[in-house]
Amino acid sequence: MDAQKVDLFIMTNAKFFEAHHLGWIREQLIQLDDAQWPTVQMQQYKDPTTLLIVSLLGGSLGIDRFMLGDTGLGIGKLLTCGGLGIWAIIDWFMIMPATREKNMAAFQNLLA
Amino acid sequence: MSRSKLYTIVLVACCAGWLYIGFQFPLNQEGQQHDVTLCVIKQVTNVPCPSCGTTRSVIAMIKGDFASSFQWNPLGWLVGTMMFIIPIWITFDLIFKKGSFMYTYQTTENWFKSKWVAGPAIALVLANWAWNISKGL
Repeated sequence: MDAQKVDLFIMTNAKFFEAHHLGWIREQLIQLDDAQWPTVQMQQYKDPTTLLIVSLLGGSLGIDRFMLGDTGLGIGKLLTCGGLGIWAIIDWFMIMPATREKNMAAFQNLLA
Repeated sequence: MSRSKLYTIVLVACCAGWLYIGFQFPLNQEGQQHDVTLCVIKQVTNVPCPSCGTTRSVIAMIKGDFASSFQWNPLGWLVGTMMFIIPIWITFDLIFKKGSFMYTYQTTENWFKSKWVAGPAIALVLANWAWNISKGL
């Protein structure tokens, strides 16, 4: 695919992925067929910053994990009051990397 | 999520749960009221969260008093049963190199994603929360 298009995609979507994944994403997109471009553009990614805010406010009810699609862990957090409050604090720091990992998984699903 | 990651998280959570029960058990003897709580929501807003009372419920359950366990918080029945069964289940899985817990976890997770299950579940949790607030836990 056109390198310019790919670079534009990387620039607009860089915040959704881990920095060390960006090189790999760029390579994959350049090898990608032009016909698949609309599907790549249609894919919605979750914003790590939004998830962080949700985690700060509703972390002890597990709302952040529910939003991320980790329903099982969400129920675990809800039933234990955010893992006795400790898991909720750990997730303040873990939720942004976890969101980026989820986005990466979604991107890989798209290519498969 | 990989099998080893899930098993680690769940085992650590169960161990932390038992340690916390072990710490709270002596404080919860007859006629004693204690003020130790880790609940952020209750500390900040003075309103109990949906799972407040679960510790007291599990402790009542260990003592065999299922009725007052239900009175404290019905979720305690669920949490207590889980904390008892899951470590045994995971040990079984690890010894026989199986993934039955992982499979059940994923099936349950997908089941809860359907709105016909999630809707009533959310309603139950909210109703329980309202009951918690009216009990003034």
